[in-house]
Amino acid sequence: MLAIYRLALPRVYGYLLPRCGDTALAEDLTAETFLAAVAAASEPAAPEVSVGWLIGVARHKLVDHWRRAGREQRAPTAGDLGAEAVDDPWDEVVDTSAAHSALARLPGQQRAALTLRYLDDLPVTEVAAHLGRSLHATETLLVRARAALRRVYQEERDDG
Amino acid sequence: MADSLRALRLPVVPVEPRQEFAASLLRRLEHRTGQFTPGAATARYFVTDLDAAVSFYTQQLGFAEELRAAPGFAMLYRGDLRLLLSVPGQPGAAGTAAGEPEAEEPAAREPGASELSQPGGSNRIVLGVTDLTATVRRLRASGVRFRTGITPGIAVRQALLEDPSGNLVELFEPVTGYHERQGGT
Repeated sequence: MLAIYRLALPRVYGYLLPRCGDTALAEDLTAETFLAAVAAASEPAAPEVSVGWLIGVARHKLVDHWRRAGREQRAPTAGDLGAEAVDDPWDEVVDTSAAHSALARLPGQQRAALTLRYLDDLPVTEVAAHLGRSLHATETLLVRARAALRRVYQEERDDG
Repeated sequence: MADSLRALRLPVVPVEPRQEFAASLLRRLEHRTGQFTPGAATARYFVTDLDAAVSFYTQQLGFAEELRAAPGFAMLYRGDLRLLLSVPGQPGAAGTAAGEPEAEEPAAREPGASELSQPGGSNRIVLGVTDLTATVRRLRASGVRFRTGITPGIAVRQALLEDPSGNLVELFEPVTGYHERQGGT
């Protein structure tokens, strides 16, 4: 673990920072990731510690954080209104950084689902596993999340 | 259907976190694993007055205290550097009469405590600071003894001072623009 610390630290932090967009939170989650990895590595039949495995742990910590945050603030937001949203085709995302910042305004579960599916490019089955949801529920969540993202993205473009 | 969202893909690009964060997390991990990092630098200074030395390094030079396990021994850190302070003759002071030799070697070849554990000498630790002029002014004002003023070095400005036991500490600040000028076309 300590042998790859110098190599892994900038990669784990580099994974977390742009996804959570907050230095203090990225540091907290980075610390949680390494401390959890140290605990896991001392178990019998522990997986071999690699950068890829650590990023998997970081991904888990990030999703956990959004799940906790989602429970704390259950005020309705733009994303919650999208129950009947239709998954119609979206024109090219012309401004990726605007889309990333729109993503930060979505509720935790939607943000988690879109981050795993698109930023991390995971297949829907793996997104479902990370979120602890069925495949069907995950697909529904993704439909709503895409509609919510599109709405926030276009609102911000209209405002700006 | 949502193919346009593929543009959101974000490959992992390494980002160096704050150095203080990196160093403090490493210490927490070392604590958990009971290991240490062989690559990290540790220096040992012999001091005559441990309290004075700990105050000096923590209050004047930005070290933090990590451990004070014995009356004659303290462990400090600053960024990646760990600094051991030992009072000669006290337990924990390596190379002194208090430390028993590990291997059975002829006693005559063991250097005496006075030979290997005196404060002073001309080797020194070298610490980076962001504003050397202001740092030197502040340290002088609090009564720190300087052996040199600010002098130019290779790509740096530097100054040499003494801790309360007479050990040398060199401060440096990189000279801005040096690398650009060297590499310029």
